[in-house]
Amino acid sequence: MILTPKILARIVAIVLLGVLLQLSFFSRVELLHTSPDVLPALVVALALLGGGMAGAVIGFSVGLLVAALVGEVLGLTSLVLLTTGYLAGAYRERADIFGVLMPALLCMGFTIFAEAGYAVMQLVLGVDASISALVLRDLLLKGIYAFFLGAPIYVGVRRLLRSALVEDRAVRRSSQPTVLGA
Amino acid sequence: MYRKQVRRRRAVLALLVLGSFALLTATYGKGAGGFGEGVSTVFSPVQGVVDRALKPARDFVNWFDETLEARGENDRLREQLAEARALAVAGQVARQENDQLRELAGLRRSGAIPPGYEPVAARVIARSPTLWYASVTIDAGRRDGVRVDDPVVSGEGLAGRVTAVTGGAAQVTLITDPAAGSAVSGRVVPGGVQGIVRAEVGDPDELILDFIDSARLVGRGSTVVTAGWRSDDFASLYPPNLPIGEVTEASIREQEASQTVHLRPFADMRDLDLLQVLTGGWRG
Repeated sequence: MILTPKILARIVAIVLLGVLLQLSFFSRVELLHTSPDVLPALVVALALLGGGMAGAVIGFSVGLLVAALVGEVLGLTSLVLLTTGYLAGAYRERADIFGVLMPALLCMGFTIFAEAGYAVMQLVLGVDASISALVLRDLLLKGIYAFFLGAPIYVGVRRLLRSALVEDRAVRRSSQPTVLGA
Repeated sequence: MYRKQVRRRRAVLALLVLGSFALLTATYGKGAGGFGEGVSTVFSPVQGVVDRALKPARDFVNWFDETLEARGENDRLREQLAEARALAVAGQVARQENDQLRELAGLRRSGAIPPGYEPVAARVIARSPTLWYASVTIDAGRRDGVRVDDPVVSGEGLAGRVTAVTGGAAQVTLITDPAAGSAVSGRVVPGGVQGIVRAEVGDPDELILDFIDSARLVGRGSTVVTAGWRSDDFASLYPPNLPIGEVTEASIREQEASQTVHLRPFADMRDLDLLQVLTGGWRG
């Protein structure tokens, strides 16, 4: 990804919009008693386009913003999302992404990873309450929702950042029409 | 050149990880603190607008969920309706007697709000995305008289307490939050058995009344209200007699072995929209 001030502004806008939508919409709707969590999918989508470092920085920022807005302990969500973003970006650096099914599957996998990571961190820090088995159901359903929301998020983010993507530039250059007789 | 890039990359990653741990250490057990208040002050007006704009879409999605749930609950609700009709008649008689007794004793007819408290209505504008923190942000803050530790109720019962406040918004930690600070002193009516109401992570429809006196058994269907104790030096954050929930599971074995019973909160924690902050009160 080629970072220009314009692209940076777009990424900031995407992150702010994603966080606001999560807190004001997705966290407050329920399907089968579980709210979707689009933030890991958003971080994964940006990491798949920008690479490991971009994923880590964006994951950290998203986590910090969310924790500050809902009054959680700072650093925990950041740590989980920066790891998620870095791993998703690192995967992208080693393998190619085809179609929209693959990003959707990656969003699902990394959302389950992020939710499980968050749960493990909470348990490591100590939870002063009993834990319901419904936590597992919530984790799996969040993964399934991420699968369905992951594809449109990836496509949307990719569209918004298209001008900064190296491969898209290469494709556009190679598909320039040849001028006959030139 | 490549090595330099790798080194820089590792340094940034290490910095972010260390930064996360430093923030975690600095704010653990305290919440987001001043930074959170600052961010919340900036974002709460935008969140308010976004919340109102997205309400129709939210209601549309929730309608699907409620329809699915309603189909399964229909039969159970029919049975409950018959029971509730009988209870309603008994309740009206009891209320009439209660009113008469209150008048006789010269007590103030307090209704739902305890005397001395000034309710401030607020709308939920954001909600935590994780099960591990049960908290919501409301659009009333210091300017409306809201202070940290003010109790918060929904139309059905106790919802939580204010844990952070800015000029125009406040964060409410719900009673279903697993943190130790969310525990509430509860009292069973009838019977008067007291205990600590605690959350169960992952299930906002379930609370646990812990540390009850195992010699006095609690029955299924009993109501749990806030105990609201007060001494010379200390006082409970919650006033007495705010309804918390109904006992749903109270096996004798569990009560004797682990001194706990299970209850369902009256307030629907999954669908909080309008809340009331009880300002003032005995904390002055």
